[in-house]
Amino acid sequence: MQANHAGSTLVNHWQRGVPVYREPVVTPPLLFFGALAALGLALALVRFFSPLGPFAAMNDAYAWGIWKTFNVLTLTALGSGPLAVGMAAWVFNRKKLHTVMRTALVSGFLFYSTGLIALGFDVGRAWNFYNILFPWRWNTHSAMLEISFCMPVYAALFLAFENLPLVMERFYYTGTDATKAFLRKCAPPLRRIYPFMVTGAYVFPLMHQSSLGGLLLLAGDKIHPLWQTPFLPLLYLLAAGLCGLGFVTFILLIACLHHSRPIDLGVLGELGNLLSCASFVFLAVRFGDLAWRGQLHSAFALDKWSLLLLFETALIVVPAVALRSKVVRETPRTLFNMAMIACLGGLLYRFIPTTIAFAPAHKAIYFPSLPELLMTVGYISLGIAAFGLAMKYFAVLPGDIAEWNYMFRYVRARRAAVRAEGETTWPASPSTR
Amino acid sequence: MLSSLVTSSRVLETIDERLMRCGVSRRAFLQFCSSLMIAAPFGLPITDKQTPEEVAHGLGKVIRPPVIWLHFQDCTGCTETLLRNSHPDLGDLILNIISLEYHETLMAGSGKQAEETLAEAVRNYSGKYVCVVEGSIPTGEKGIYMKLAGRPAMEVLHDVGGKAAAIIAIGSCASWGGIPSADPNPTGAVGVADLLPHKTIVNIPGCPPNPYTLLGVVLQFAASGSLPELDEERRPKFAFDRNIHEHCPRRAHFDAGRFVKQFGDQGHREGWCLYELGCKGPDTHAGCSTRHFNEIPDVWPIGIGAPCIGCTEKSIAFRVPMFKVVQIHTPANPPDTYAPINAPQGTVSPVATGVTGLVVGALLGAGYVASRKFSTVRGDESAPGTQSPPSAGPPDGGEGSEERK
Amino acid sequence: MSRGDGITRRQALMGILGLGGTVAGTLATSAIAEEHPAHPVAPPDAVSMLYDNTICTGCKACMVACSEANGLPPDTTLSGGLWDTPTGLNSKTKNIIECYKEPNGAGFAYVKKQCMHCLDPACVTGCPFGALKKNEWGAVTWNSSLCIGCRYCEVACPFEVPKFEWDKWNPKIVKCEFCFDQRLKENMQPACTGVCPTGAVIFGKRVDLLAKAKERIAASPGKYFEKRVYGEHEAGGTQVLYLSNVAFDKIGLPKLGTTSLGHYATKVTSVIYKWLSGPLLVAGLLGTLIKRNWDAHEAERPAIERRTGLKEQL
Repeated sequence: MQANHAGSTLVNHWQRGVPVYREPVVTPPLLFFGALAALGLALALVRFFSPLGPFAAMNDAYAWGIWKTFNVLTLTALGSGPLAVGMAAWVFNRKKLHTVMRTALVSGFLFYSTGLIALGFDVGRAWNFYNILFPWRWNTHSAMLEISFCMPVYAALFLAFENLPLVMERFYYTGTDATKAFLRKCAPPLRRIYPFMVTGAYVFPLMHQSSLGGLLLLAGDKIHPLWQTPFLPLLYLLAAGLCGLGFVTFILLIACLHHSRPIDLGVLGELGNLLSCASFVFLAVRFGDLAWRGQLHSAFALDKWSLLLLFETALIVVPAVALRSKVVRETPRTLFNMAMIACLGGLLYRFIPTTIAFAPAHKAIYFPSLPELLMTVGYISLGIAAFGLAMKYFAVLPGDIAEWNYMFRYVRARRAAVRAEGETTWPASPSTR
Repeated sequence: MLSSLVTSSRVLETIDERLMRCGVSRRAFLQFCSSLMIAAPFGLPITDKQTPEEVAHGLGKVIRPPVIWLHFQDCTGCTETLLRNSHPDLGDLILNIISLEYHETLMAGSGKQAEETLAEAVRNYSGKYVCVVEGSIPTGEKGIYMKLAGRPAMEVLHDVGGKAAAIIAIGSCASWGGIPSADPNPTGAVGVADLLPHKTIVNIPGCPPNPYTLLGVVLQFAASGSLPELDEERRPKFAFDRNIHEHCPRRAHFDAGRFVKQFGDQGHREGWCLYELGCKGPDTHAGCSTRHFNEIPDVWPIGIGAPCIGCTEKSIAFRVPMFKVVQIHTPANPPDTYAPINAPQGTVSPVATGVTGLVVGALLGAGYVASRKFSTVRGDESAPGTQSPPSAGPPDGGEGSEERK
Repeated sequence: MSRGDGITRRQALMGILGLGGTVAGTLATSAIAEEHPAHPVAPPDAVSMLYDNTICTGCKACMVACSEANGLPPDTTLSGGLWDTPTGLNSKTKNIIECYKEPNGAGFAYVKKQCMHCLDPACVTGCPFGALKKNEWGAVTWNSSLCIGCRYCEVACPFEVPKFEWDKWNPKIVKCEFCFDQRLKENMQPACTGVCPTGAVIFGKRVDLLAKAKERIAASPGKYFEKRVYGEHEAGGTQVLYLSNVAFDKIGLPKLGTTSLGHYATKVTSVIYKWLSGPLLVAGLLGTLIKRNWDAHEAERPAIERRTGLKEQL
């Protein structure tokens, strides 16, 4: 037992990432999500060669459908794990969180990639996107330009770089001596630039997550006054922060449930604590803004908009308050529930001004069509399937060192066993050898 | 042009001189000029004047142009339509305005006399006369299907038409083949322009066409030596630049959606639009909707309740079934319908809504089921889903964990 | 480089970034956002249309002329191919006459809708590559080689004017451009104003038409709603001006404030992003902290690796 939490009996189960090794790679859930992903991507290909109109239910009053408003504007908040957890770990020096950085990084990378794929298949004249290469053609007043530049660079450069170590690690341990030597040579320069890349990996999402909110500023009065505010960029950023923290908590718990890994309530409790603080900051700005703009009375007017606001707030304030209690933070079920609810609240906050509280002058209505929904589900399933695969191939999900050592021997032995065409039976858990 | 007409051996008089000699009243001539102005309101310099008096003044000075009128595979309908005007007696006026040298239906002579007249006219006015052609020309079997004085029509056309200053192809048959050219076109009937593509030809299609169109063309030619502006099918723009639909008296019914469904129904009795009976008005260029026939208002196909068959158009007449409905190519905004302020947009698919509801429900359900798998014991760090039910395990999760290593 | 003597190169770099960012930030905060002033000024050659719905007879000649001049196909979706019956501006209709009917049937009013050619257009502010631009006469035009079809202009426009060709594989943004290419460049007025038989919509310089509109209001005080010209100040001012005898919002002209959306949307970002001062400042700040933590982490690493016998996982 390696307890290193003063005054608590929690065990430090999470010491390094360990691949999920005791299960086959292809499982029914993977096949299920893979099939959904294949369907979504096939539809996306069809969409690329056909006009947008018949495919999607978007119209001129609601020109943005769920691909933009949900996959990009809303889901990338869940993908802000690298930003939120990373800043806590590297800027505010919460060392415990380093073990969960990989989970955050992989999930964040997948959310961003699938969001960018969704964006790519949503624009109507994608062939003109090459104009991004000519800075003199950029309209620097436009939040849309900022996102078009910042998000791809972030995902392809900074997030990809931060995910390099876990890929390189696999090649190191499964590769030839030449590979090992090459990787050993690559490591020092990568380490030298690592802090700068990490800096960029926080500056860029700070910019584009707030610009996602900034997009909605131009919509002006089309967005209900309870949501339309000059503070939209800041609020979107804070919502990204709290969603990132909440989602990393949620996904760690779900992954450990699915793969029977022990959990580390010290780390998760820390995440829960940070989630609670971030939520309070968000709520402070939210209600401070409503008060400053004189909208508090309509926030409590109990008409349908007020009820929506109160519901979204409840989804955030309940976890925020609950997670102040150490008991809640250290009980798996309550921690899971609170993280899930907080994520939903953050997502709802980011989604509402784009569609639900968005009221163009025309008496218009928008609900996504079936192909639109299938494509959205497809992109999300792609992320889920890829995450599941990543956990099996790379050392992402945290475990303890005993687990790592056991994994090493297990994998080596299985390979030998396969080569010798015999099976070895292994004890079920790493603690019995 | 004009000077050569004057110095020809046959003396040609001006229209004024002729009218005076024949005792046609000034009033009748002015009525003719009014009709001409209505027939050709735009694009014709001779009628582009303020009053019939001015038109008459201009026309009076015009030297009567010699006209040779040929008939080939025709029904003589075009000539008949020219003569079917009696207020005033146009037959007389026509014969006084133009110098009709040869016309098989109207001339007194026949046989050898007629042949000689033709030859003489062609010789005397070679290069100066206007040749009017009525009827299509058969080209099948070396053109034996129609012969004039033993010569095939093709040969006559080449001879007489070839020496004309200008050719006017009157009627659909002469313009593009007309009825004889209908499927399977056994005689190989074609229009004048198909045989003499390089001559100056004015097509005046119609079955029959409006007589005033012909007069406008001929008189302009006589007055200035030039022909009116023609479109790509060599039809004078002043008469063929608009389609029936644009000026139809029943247009208000079309715009309001009042259509006749079958002959004799109530709508038909009320004079509603004939579009659904296959009226070709929208695709047919002609002036019939403003200039009716026989000088009696509403004496024209649509006016009497028969849908237009598109008799001027090569691609429609005698090819497209009479009762087949055509597409409207230039739909205009009907005068009595307006868009509302901020019309509604967007539709909701019930299937999509249902699927979304199911998926959201499934996700929430899965979330609930998943949450049940987590331990409610504080500090329980064992792998979720593997721990024993909440009733077992340490009594309170706060104190030491002797059971665990 | 040893830690003992003086600052390291990296520390210096971080310091410079931070300092530079701070300086830039200070300079930037003192700069006013001139590109989107609170009350935009019309360009000197600003052209304008003045529409007076008390003169309009609803003949829709402007719709026909516009379709013809712009080569637009008729919108026959509702009529099964028979009539051009758009229900609003759309990808086939750049200009439309809409009719407001009083609920009790007491009266009606026409309104001509098309692009308002705002003085500080929201669509121009939002377009990422400047496909929508305001030219020297103030006409807002669309450039097909710069547009990526993101439809931000549709979301931004308070009048919901730009329309997307949803049914085309090569979709355009369709909206009134003052007949700039077809007619303004040849010194002709736009098709709609040229064809209006009653002079309900007229073309001229903005200053002149604004003055003329005010003269009309002064001449008939009871006639015009709120005795003012719509578009004089709405959304910062537009180059299409309206006079109406019924309430503007009844004829679909939204109630808008007097500042442009571009001003509202860029109030803060124009300061933060000026010369990238904000990002640079944050980068400097974060970078300093991260570098410090990283160095400490690297210093501890050998000992940890020795103790666990395993390589560190980044």
